[in-house]
Amino acid sequence: MKRYSLKQFFQDFYLALILIFLYIPILTMIVLSFNNTKSRTLWGGFTLKWYEQMLQDQAILNALNNTLLIAFVSALIATVIGTASAIGINSMKKLPRTVLMGINNIPILNSEIVTGISLMLCFIAFGISLGFKTVLIAHITFNIPYVILSVMPKLRQTSRYTYEAALDLGASPLQAFFKVVFPDILPGILSGFLMAFTMSLDDFIITHFTRGAGIDTLSTLIYSEVRRGIKPSMYALSAVIFVTVLVLLLITNFTPENNRTGSPQGNDAALVRKRNRSARIRKGVLGIASAAVIFIVGFSTYSRYSVSHSNELYVYNWGEYIDESVIEQFEEETGIHVVYDLFETNEEMYPVIEAGAVQYDAVCPSDYMIQKMAENGLLAEINFDNVPNIKNIDPQFLEMSREFDPENKYSVPYTWGTVGILYNTKLIKERNLPVPERWSDLWNPAYEKEILMQDSVRDAFMVALKSMGYSMNTENPDELELAKQKLIEQKPLVQAYVIDQVRDKMIGGEAAVGVIYSGEMLYIQEEVKNQNLDFSLEYVIPEEGTNLWIDSWVIPANARNKENAEKWIDFLCRPDIALKNFEYITYATPNRAAKELLEPELRNNQAIFPDTEKLEGCEVYRYLGDETDAVYNSLWKEVKSN
Amino acid sequence: MSQPLIDLQHISKKFDDTLVLDDLCLSVRENSFVTLLGPSGCGKTTTLRIIGGFESPDTGNVIFAGNDITKLPPNKRQLNTVFQKYALFPHMSIAENIAFGLKIKKKPKSYIDDKIRYALKLVNLDGFEHRSVDSLSGGQQQRIAIARAIVNEPKVLLLDEPLGALDLKLRQDMQYELIRLKNELGITFIYVTHDQEEALTMSDTIVVMNQGYIQQMGSPEQIYNEPENAFVADFIGESNIVDGLMIHDELVEICGAKFACVDKGFGTNQPVDVVIRPEDIDLVRPENGTLQGVVTHLIFKGVHYEMEVTTPDGFEWLVHSTDMAPVGEKVGIHVDPFDIQIMNKPASEDEEAVGVNE
Repeated sequence: MKRYSLKQFFQDFYLALILIFLYIPILTMIVLSFNNTKSRTLWGGFTLKWYEQMLQDQAILNALNNTLLIAFVSALIATVIGTASAIGINSMKKLPRTVLMGINNIPILNSEIVTGISLMLCFIAFGISLGFKTVLIAHITFNIPYVILSVMPKLRQTSRYTYEAALDLGASPLQAFFKVVFPDILPGILSGFLMAFTMSLDDFIITHFTRGAGIDTLSTLIYSEVRRGIKPSMYALSAVIFVTVLVLLLITNFTPENNRTGSPQGNDAALVRKRNRSARIRKGVLGIASAAVIFIVGFSTYSRYSVSHSNELYVYNWGEYIDESVIEQFEEETGIHVVYDLFETNEEMYPVIEAGAVQYDAVCPSDYMIQKMAENGLLAEINFDNVPNIKNIDPQFLEMSREFDPENKYSVPYTWGTVGILYNTKLIKERNLPVPERWSDLWNPAYEKEILMQDSVRDAFMVALKSMGYSMNTENPDELELAKQKLIEQKPLVQAYVIDQVRDKMIGGEAAVGVIYSGEMLYIQEEVKNQNLDFSLEYVIPEEGTNLWIDSWVIPANARNKENAEKWIDFLCRPDIALKNFEYITYATPNRAAKELLEPELRNNQAIFPDTEKLEGCEVYRYLGDETDAVYNSLWKEVKSN
Repeated sequence: MSQPLIDLQHISKKFDDTLVLDDLCLSVRENSFVTLLGPSGCGKTTTLRIIGGFESPDTGNVIFAGNDITKLPPNKRQLNTVFQKYALFPHMSIAENIAFGLKIKKKPKSYIDDKIRYALKLVNLDGFEHRSVDSLSGGQQQRIAIARAIVNEPKVLLLDEPLGALDLKLRQDMQYELIRLKNELGITFIYVTHDQEEALTMSDTIVVMNQGYIQQMGSPEQIYNEPENAFVADFIGESNIVDGLMIHDELVEICGAKFACVDKGFGTNQPVDVVIRPEDIDLVRPENGTLQGVVTHLIFKGVHYEMEVTTPDGFEWLVHSTDMAPVGEKVGIHVDPFDIQIMNKPASEDEEAVGVNE
């Protein structure tokens, strides 16, 4: 027996280290998917509830369906095209073959973002509206090289003469191919198919650029969910995807291997029979599995698309920004089919509307973006005769909307909120810190390394400008210069500039104060309760006033179903619907009638519905034009790099 | 003479810019064993592939039993091919391989089963039905390839260097096997090889090819004993090809010495090529020889000794003999008149180009 030497030990240790390095993140995610709390740091016991939640979520199931359908169909078509191409390339002379294989490899090596963007541009240039079919075409496109790459070596192994021998024995070219060449290269084709399937399943970037209204695959869905903070059901979903890809890769890598296990000296007839039988069994399993996938996907797709939709509505909204049942209810009541699509940021949404790649009927941007869209002629005036429920909206918010929509003709407020200071009661007490009341308190040296600032230009400058009593929409260079210096001055006190993590770090008790959007408050309060934390987190709107943001529904100028869009907006203004959405989104609703329906405890929650007088100094972000935006950005860069 | 079964008429074929066959004409009689013999690249395989239908000629026609089949695809031709690398179907059992052609033709199962048994018996591989292809040796695979071809009862069997991949002993066994098969089946064999021994052993007719031309066609004896030019002489067996001067009928001058021969009709004082097979040279005492030389090389080859004898003008004669003369010994060279083969010098540049490139 070999002695276990030190060298051996270091070899194993090194290998283990690499494996740990590679797989700890995924392992963490899988563990968290079984965590009973939403916390990313605390273990709250084992649970399968996130998996249950995942399976009950219609958006996830639709995305799963899309993912499988696209992966299967694109892999299938790519396999047919790729195999045919490989056969063609294989019969070429050496030089063109080498050149073609080189060309074939470029898309594989090429950065996906380049492929994605160029495909998107191509579709738009040729007037193909982005949707299911463009994603499918894109996936077929990037899958073909993988199929060619995996069929090619098998073809090269196959003797050209077996094909000729079949012809010689009376088979037609087609018979010869299917009876002789095909079985020979089948392992290559199968592994090509599985590789294509896996690649398609896995793809995010290309799908992201080529998808259109109502089409989400698992990867794009997960990405859009991230904006509102990752739900643990997403961990569950990611874990399922990881395991699926792992299994597929295992199958891909071991299938061709198995075919070769028969030893060349396998003189035993029984062995051959056994081998044939196991090959048949494997074929059977594969056949049944693919038939099952086709059936499930086909059936669900059929049932989803079987109703013809002459009456449609294309909606473009933030992720997790509506109670899904509201969409169903709208469809039932009006007979209008809703194609629902998500965006993650205003800046991402804008070019989509501008390019008109997908013609949406109703979009939900934020204040300053509505101003920008209106100024660039991208919005249609809403016919308020068709929106009688506008009467339920608190006039206060229509008044505030005039900041970005001066005549109140383009937008209907949907949600609103403020930016304020969140503080940890226990830490404040323990460390003897003052309770924050004003923005200027964030310059109190006592808060050294206790402040979490928002890592975004406008929010950071808002804090500085407001603390000095200036407008947060200022274009005055002197005021901006002062704000910059103020932010630089604050840097030693700041623990971190973050966005989403403010919430989690505060729940984790890592910092005493943080700048946060009020929309997070209900979630934070619930989480504090669920995790039985020994402190509470309080929200204050600083006395100098703050950013009051409003997300409103608008109708793009190129909408094809404007009246349906108005019906949609009117529907969302109905008190019962607005209530449902509030309960789901937990962002303050501008709908007065809906607020009346709330339980007093919620209605009086100051973090969500602050008293009117507290909103007095508040402003709404305005679009300041590209030049001023650039000034803000360069000043922010100076702050960050100082 | 009966009508030829296969008639190639003025076949030319180019690959890219290389002329592989140039105006080739060839007739094959029914029930003959014809061998296309030549160095690699001489066009013999292309000729076979044109007969099989895997290549189409640029010009010329392929006539089969009186019908023009030039444009007929391979699967419609009444002939079968045994490929160089056997080309068995690796994913099928032996029985399935043999049954392939019959299944395509939708023959009844009992007929197919009988045929498989018969064919396996014919190639001495009874009971191999359920074996897999890769469990067979090269020779066995070759026999299966033959079995697979002959169950279709072709009029002609095309064999493309079928023994090329086998070792010497197996190759010799298979040669007898093929002759036996040919006799039992009574069908026409067209056989391609670059091995002259194979060609001489098996064929009724040998077609020697080089650079797209037929150099000579005839029985093995004719080809061996009466090569028509230097190429054939050199390619078939080993020979001494010497410049000679035909002084008059039945007398030729070689290396300054006059040899009696049996050839006539070359004119007087005409430069010719003279072919003398190494085994036809008798080494005698110097004073009894027509020419004198010194043994410069000696190798024992088993059946005979191979020697080189250098004559004063510098020509090295290759001599095969069962008697040995040691290196350095002076010997005389004697050749019987009927062992001297006189050939015309190549008339044109073109023919000159038909050299030996192996």
